[in-house]
Amino acid sequence: MNLAFGLYLVLNTAAVLLIAPLFVSIIKKVKAWAQGRSGPSVFQTYLTLAKLLKKETVYSSHSSWVMRLTPYVSIAAVLVAALFVPLVFVPEPVGGIGNIILLLYLLALARFFMALAGLDAGSSFGGMGSSREMSISAIIEPTTIIVFAALVFVFKSLNVFDMFAASAAAGAPATPTLILLGISLFIILVVETSRIPVDNPETHLELTMIHEGMILEQSGKNLALMELSAAVKLTLLMALLINLIVPFGLTTTLAIGTIAVATVLFVLKATVLAGIIGLFESSMAKMRFFRLPSLFAMAFFFSTLIIIIEVFA
Amino acid sequence: MIDPALVQSVIRILFAVVIVTAAYIISTRNLISLVSVYALQSLTLVLMALALWSLEGATVLLAIAAVTFVSKVLIIPYFIASIQERIRIRRDIEFHFLSPTTSLLLSMALILFIYIALANILEGTPARESLFFFGAVIGLSLMLMGMMVTFSRKRAITKVLGYLSMENGVLLFGMFVTELPFIIEFLIIIDLVILVMLTTILTVGLDSTLEEYHQRLHRFHLVGDTEDGP
Repeated sequence: MNLAFGLYLVLNTAAVLLIAPLFVSIIKKVKAWAQGRSGPSVFQTYLTLAKLLKKETVYSSHSSWVMRLTPYVSIAAVLVAALFVPLVFVPEPVGGIGNIILLLYLLALARFFMALAGLDAGSSFGGMGSSREMSISAIIEPTTIIVFAALVFVFKSLNVFDMFAASAAAGAPATPTLILLGISLFIILVVETSRIPVDNPETHLELTMIHEGMILEQSGKNLALMELSAAVKLTLLMALLINLIVPFGLTTTLAIGTIAVATVLFVLKATVLAGIIGLFESSMAKMRFFRLPSLFAMAFFFSTLIIIIEVFA
Repeated sequence: MIDPALVQSVIRILFAVVIVTAAYIISTRNLISLVSVYALQSLTLVLMALALWSLEGATVLLAIAAVTFVSKVLIIPYFIASIQERIRIRRDIEFHFLSPTTSLLLSMALILFIYIALANILEGTPARESLFFFGAVIGLSLMLMGMMVTFSRKRAITKVLGYLSMENGVLLFGMFVTELPFIIEFLIIIDLVILVMLTTILTVGLDSTLEEYHQRLHRFHLVGDTEDGP
């Protein structure tokens, strides 16, 4: 491990923790604007997290160690996954870091523990949330694998770092495969972060809730960790999409100037993407549960098409 | 003169747009967006014809672009949208034989099949390597995907849209592979306009007697209320 990589580990984690709550707030703000409200301030998520961190944690008397462990497993898994997706600076990959299959499994680990914690407290809401989450993930996971496989075929590498380096070197050529990949990744982003056609992040009083249902029993610091890991997951998936499709500004050299420019550009691009997600959410209604596969089929269709093109052409 | 490499990459991007719109037409249930996506697909074809014109300089491509723009981007979508507004159907949620998900998976197989078939047919010819090969594959796939829409939907209005997107496939195929005589293209478009006008009748009810049909026309506000009913 060299110095650049060590620096990357520290900086990337700090950056992702610092800016992740911002994008959650921006999406909320855009949605509020679309509904004609002024909405909470863009720093509201930071304030909420700070407040939750000061609060006492309450456990149900029926809950076991799973409940106590889950927030830590969740944030740890997501933060390690965030290391696999460089935000602004792409170093040389070291060891298994950056492996796209491992990335998938880290996200699955967080999700698995979240579902267990939903069941653990014994509340019926949590159980329903977990059951729905697992049904959805059983369908979305093959799709995610196909989308990632398409990425691997396009960039001829299993490593996210290599993919980013390749796309950064190529500049911003909007090739047809990248457009199709962008749509697929966007669908994956919406599904993985429990956003509107799949789940409603606004409420936990509806019978349709999935993600909120599972974290209903969490409180205090643990809730803050769960919220933060959801925000980090959103940011890392957004970074994956942004740095593959519109990579301009992404840097592979460790110099303060270029990194500063890249950071500003990344925040701008991510703000735009968050706005797009907000508008996308505002423009559609939540889908009926059994109609969701048709959304996933779209991502599956485009990625398979890419694989066909890459294999045969 | 525009750089040919740039034009080629633009055409490739337009191919991707065509595929996206075709997939959307297969799977959406919202009629209003269905019509606008159809208009978008036609617009893509117009742009593609213009791009090809800048590559090859054949005036017939310009004519095709103009006719397609007027008929398929402006007139037909406007007409269908106005019918739709009057009959107040917003969604088509009924499917024969195939659900949208199955149709998407099937169309994937279709594209693969067409790709392999055409690759075998054109093996060794110069056409195999060029953009025209992709144009042929996507044109044929669009045709078959449109056909799938036509037979998997129950409402007449979506069947017509399926047919229209099938015709877009023919146009795409014609633009890239063969030199389709302009007169034929023109006649096809006249056919389409008449077909869309017939849609009114189909949508409102082909199964009815003439009296019922008049009543339906009134109920759907397709004729003015000042006229005398039957």
